[in-house]
Parts: sequence; C-alpha cells; structure tokens
Amino acid sequence: MTTLETSVPTVDPADSSDDAVKLHGLLAEFESPGEVLKAAEQVRKAGYRWWDCCTPFPVHGLDGAMGIKPTILPIMVFFAGLTGLMAAFILQAFTNSSGMTVWAMVWVTGYPYLISGKPLLSIPAFIPVMFELTILFAALTCVFGMFTMNGLPRLHHPLLGNDRFRRVTDDRFYIVIEARDPKFFRTRTEAFLESLGAVAVEEVQD
Amino acid sequence: MSSIHVAKPDLSEANVRLGSAAMGVQQGAGLVGIIGLVASAVIGFGGMFGTTPTFLMKSWTQNYMFVLAISLGALFFVFIQHLTRAGWSTTVRRPAELIAANLKWAWVGLIPFAALWLSGGGHVEGGDGAHSHWGPGVLFPWADLEALKAHHPAEYDIVAAKSAYLNSTFFWIRAIIYVTFWGVVSTWFLRTSIAQDATGDIRLTEKMQKWSGPVAIGFGLTVTFAAFDWIMSLSPAWFSTMFGVYFFCGCCTCGFSVLIISVLRLQSVGRLKQVVNREHYQDMGKLLFAFGMIFWAYIGFSQYMLIWYANIPEETGWFLGRQIGGWGTLSFVLLFGHFVVPFVALISKWTKRLSWYLLAAAIWMLFFGWFDLYWLIMPEVPADAMTAKTYMEVVEAHADASTHIFNPLNYTMLAGVGGIYLWMTIRRMRASTLLALRDPRLHEGLAFENQ
Repeated sequence: MTTLETSVPTVDPADSSDDAVKLHGLLAEFESPGEVLKAAEQVRKAGYRWWDCCTPFPVHGLDGAMGIKPTILPIMVFFAGLTGLMAAFILQAFTNSSGMTVWAMVWVTGYPYLISGKPLLSIPAFIPVMFELTILFAALTCVFGMFTMNGLPRLHHPLLGNDRFRRVTDDRFYIVIEARDPKFFRTRTEAFLESLGAVAVEEVQD
Repeated sequence: MSSIHVAKPDLSEANVRLGSAAMGVQQGAGLVGIIGLVASAVIGFGGMFGTTPTFLMKSWTQNYMFVLAISLGALFFVFIQHLTRAGWSTTVRRPAELIAANLKWAWVGLIPFAALWLSGGGHVEGGDGAHSHWGPGVLFPWADLEALKAHHPAEYDIVAAKSAYLNSTFFWIRAIIYVTFWGVVSTWFLRTSIAQDATGDIRLTEKMQKWSGPVAIGFGLTVTFAAFDWIMSLSPAWFSTMFGVYFFCGCCTCGFSVLIISVLRLQSVGRLKQVVNREHYQDMGKLLFAFGMIFWAYIGFSQYMLIWYANIPEETGWFLGRQIGGWGTLSFVLLFGHFVVPFVALISKWTKRLSWYLLAAAIWMLFFGWFDLYWLIMPEVPADAMTAKTYMEVVEAHADASTHIFNPLNYTMLAGVGGIYLWMTIRRMRASTLLALRDPRLHEGLAFENQ
C-alpha cells in the first residue's frame, strides 16, 4: 500500500457524471506477474501516488518496482520492546525490592520481599518477567502498529464489490489508481493504463 | 533482482570450483597448524608458563570441542535444510556439507584422551590433589576414583554413585558411537549430494530428506551425550540436564559463523558469483542470530536461573567456579560478547545484508564460540564449594583465582588445532564443486528473495 502524508481530495474535471455514486478509481487487469511488474514501474514513473497493485501471490521485485519505502514498523517494535524491558524492571524493583510509596492513580507501597535468602534486588529473578514484557510490548506494537499503518480493520473496500476483481485470488494481476490521486484524470488515466498492456480497464465505484 | 528478470547465473566450472585459488591459504594454515601443535607440545609438556598436565589436556579438549562444534553446526545446517525441504539454502548447502564432512576425522581428537588411558591409566598420587602425573584422572576426575576419594571426599560420594555411567569402558563405547555416527552421516550427505551433481537424480534428494529425520534424532542424542561426556564430566559431581542443548547452541554459533565466513571468502576470491547474494546472507545471518545468539542466551540463562534459585551446593559449585577471582570478569565478557553486543549489532535487516558487516559479525561470534568453550572447560569447581557456609566465604578465599586466559598455550593450541582444521577444510573444498549443481530446488535458491 502506498502512503501519502496528506490526503488530497480531487475533483476530477473530466468526470461529468452527476451520479450519487462516487468514483473510487480505475482498475486495470494484467495477465502475468511480469506484465504487472513492468506496468507498476511505469505507474510510479508517471508520478502517481495513490495507487496499489493486487496479486494472487507475492511477486518478487514488486515492492521495488512500486517504489515502496521500507516500513518504520521494526523501529517502533524495537523501542516498544525496550520500553517493556524497562517497565518490567522498574515494576519488579519497586514492588519487590523497595519500600517506597508512590502515587499511581492510588497510593501504592512497595513490599520488600525476602525469598530464600536472596538479595532484595535479585536481577536474575527479574529476567523472566523482563523477557516476557519485552515480548508482549513488542508483539502488541507489531500487530497493532501494522493494523494502524495499513488502515485496518476495515469492513469494506470498494474493490471487493467489483466482479472483475474476484480473479485476484486466482490468476489475474491488478493495478488500481485511485480517483483521489492528484494526477488522476478519468480519461487520461484510462488511456495510460491501456497503454501499459492492460487486458481490461474499468471503473470502480465507491 | 526478481524471479522474472533474473539473469541466468554463471554455473561454469570457473565459478563453482575453487581450483588453486586458495592454495596459499591452505598451505599457510597447514604450516601454522603444525607450528602451533609443536609449540603447544613444547609449552605443555615442558610445563612452561606455569602449565600443568591438566591445563594442557583441558586446552586440547577446548580446541577439539571448538572444531567439533564447527562441523556439528554445519551438519545440523545440512540436515535441517533437508528436513524442512528448504529451497533458499541450496546455494550454500555444499560448503556446509564440506565443513560437516570433516567429522570423518572427529576420532582423531580422541587420540590424546586415549593416550591418557594408555599412559598407565593408573592412580595419581599427588600430595595436594593437583594432578602432576599422567593418567585419565588428569582430565576426567571420575576416571581416577581413588585420587578423588583421597583429595575430594565430599565429591567422591556423589561421583562414585554415578559410576554406572561414568566408567572408562562405557565412556569409550559411547565415544566410538558418537564419532562413528557423525563420520558416517556427514560423509553420506556429502557423497549423496556429489553423486547428484553427476546424475541430477531427484530420488537422491528424496532419500536425503527421508533419512534426515532419523539423523536429527541421532544427532540430538549424540551431541547431548558427547557434551555430557567430554565437557560436563570434567566436573563430575555437577550436572545439568540442559547442558546438551547449551552445547548444541554453541555448535550453531561456531558452525553458522564458519559457514558465513566460508561463503563470503569464496565470493571474495571470485567463486559463487551471482549464485549467492544478499538474500542468502540475510538468511544465514538470521540463523546465526536466532540459534547462535538468542537461543544460546535463552538456554544459558535458563540453566543458570534454575540452579541459582534452587541454591543447592552440589549444583551451584559449578557456577561458583566461574564467579571467583578473574572468572567473574570473564563471565561478564561472555554475557556481553556472546549476547548483548551482537544482539544489538545484528538485529536490523540491513546488517545481515551487508557482506563486510556480516563477515565481521561472524568472526566476532566465532571467537566468542571459542571463548564460551574456554569458559565451560577451563574453570575448576573450588574444593570448598560444598563445605563453605556462605557464598562470600568462597569468593574471598579464591579472590586471586586466575583464569589463565592470556596463557600462550591457549593461543598456540588454537593456532594448532584451528590451522589443521582450516587446512583440511580448504583441501576438501578444492576437491569438490562448491555448489549442489543439480539439486532439484537450485532454481528456487537462485531466485530466492526475502519478502
């Protein structure tokens, strides 16, 4: 999925229809991964930004052809893991090793807890919890960060109402250019997609 | 590079055969090996730099375990690829097969052990319990129960109760089973794979896949018990059921590091060009990261924490020996050098795709694989570990315990054993193709891409 920082709503001057149905974009169908790969490169070069490729399986090199930047998700996950690590340490050191009283919504007091003659601040005993919270924070950030960045969950997508698009789970490859793209013009974009070797180009309604 | 636009890779002889390119390195390694072994013998038998027979034998054991771990790690790599029917690894499997095939000579490492038994095999009379005479008791305290009884009566009772397992006859039967199994299996994988180069017969791949299941079981058992016999039984009163897994992690550290180094060096002398690329580096780096680093730390800590928490003298003594005097520092060096630093250094994707960076990381990890074995094999459990009242009492009594890490014998022995091993590996690589040319999944490996 391509991403753009600001959403640019566009009124398409070529779109003369006054239907209540809004145009989502144009769907172009290709017959092979090689064709969609070449076409994607051309779409990127033409300067479109609100567009995507849909394929039945991961096509190697498609990310590069589309010019998708590496995700920042790993960095978020790393720092979430670090946060979990430190949170677990502070939590245990405070509750098991200190008699401090702090305000965390309510007043709570640490309980210095002597177990089998170990020192109060026994780091080896803390490590399993530190490990678990590292994983927990990192995993939750990973899943929900991915959801957020992909705009999920989403109950409906205009493409799912399109009959032609059903073959995306089988043997056809698609490029969709959305109407909100600043470079999108109904007729010009259709001609452009056809020139890329699409076997069919059709409108997708919102 | 994509599967669609992939250029036909160069599978010509010049690209997949080493030829005479590494001749100089091979001869140099052989020379360094011989000089190292001679120097070690001079230092060890001459008692120079304060070395004792025990120190010499432990040094041999450590370095033998080091090269053994390299080959066992490579063998694990080979059969796990067959077991998972992996396509990506077909481009780098042959170097792993060649490194693993060195196990054919694993029995050579047992000769010094055999020499101990043949040197009289008898009872050691040493006034203070320090072994100054030759015999199996020099290395394995359980092999000389009388000396143990005389000098470490507290340990004796525990060790004597284990004599159904820890006795010379059974020890040698097991040792022969291990080296035979490894030798046969690694040679069989290499030969079958080379046979496929000629015929391209898919049934050979199917056969290797079928047998890698039983091999995995045999590998797990032999590695576990070899670790018990040759490393854990150096402190026979101590035991850890996790020890075999810990050594297995060490095998992965050493084996995967050497595989990465070999492949990158082969590429830098102009072999395997267009065959192995960043995608394969990344996956080999992942394996090193996961098995050699994280799993190692996980197992190492799990072993430590259970013993630390239970706090039973016969178990804690082993770790106590690694916390007194200079060993405390070395334990932290191991923790940071084997886990913390490389964890941060190799966690990002780009780090595993950059050849010079991955090469440096693999060399670093290989050194710490060796260092880990030093930490496992060299320390002595302090004699008062089981009788002292407090932890601090032992720590203070042994405040000046030396680790001997800078003793020249450590490094002459490493040069000796490592040099011979390198000589043997390059020799093997020159005798075969460096790529499983007609593996049915080779096209998958060539077109492989991390998504």
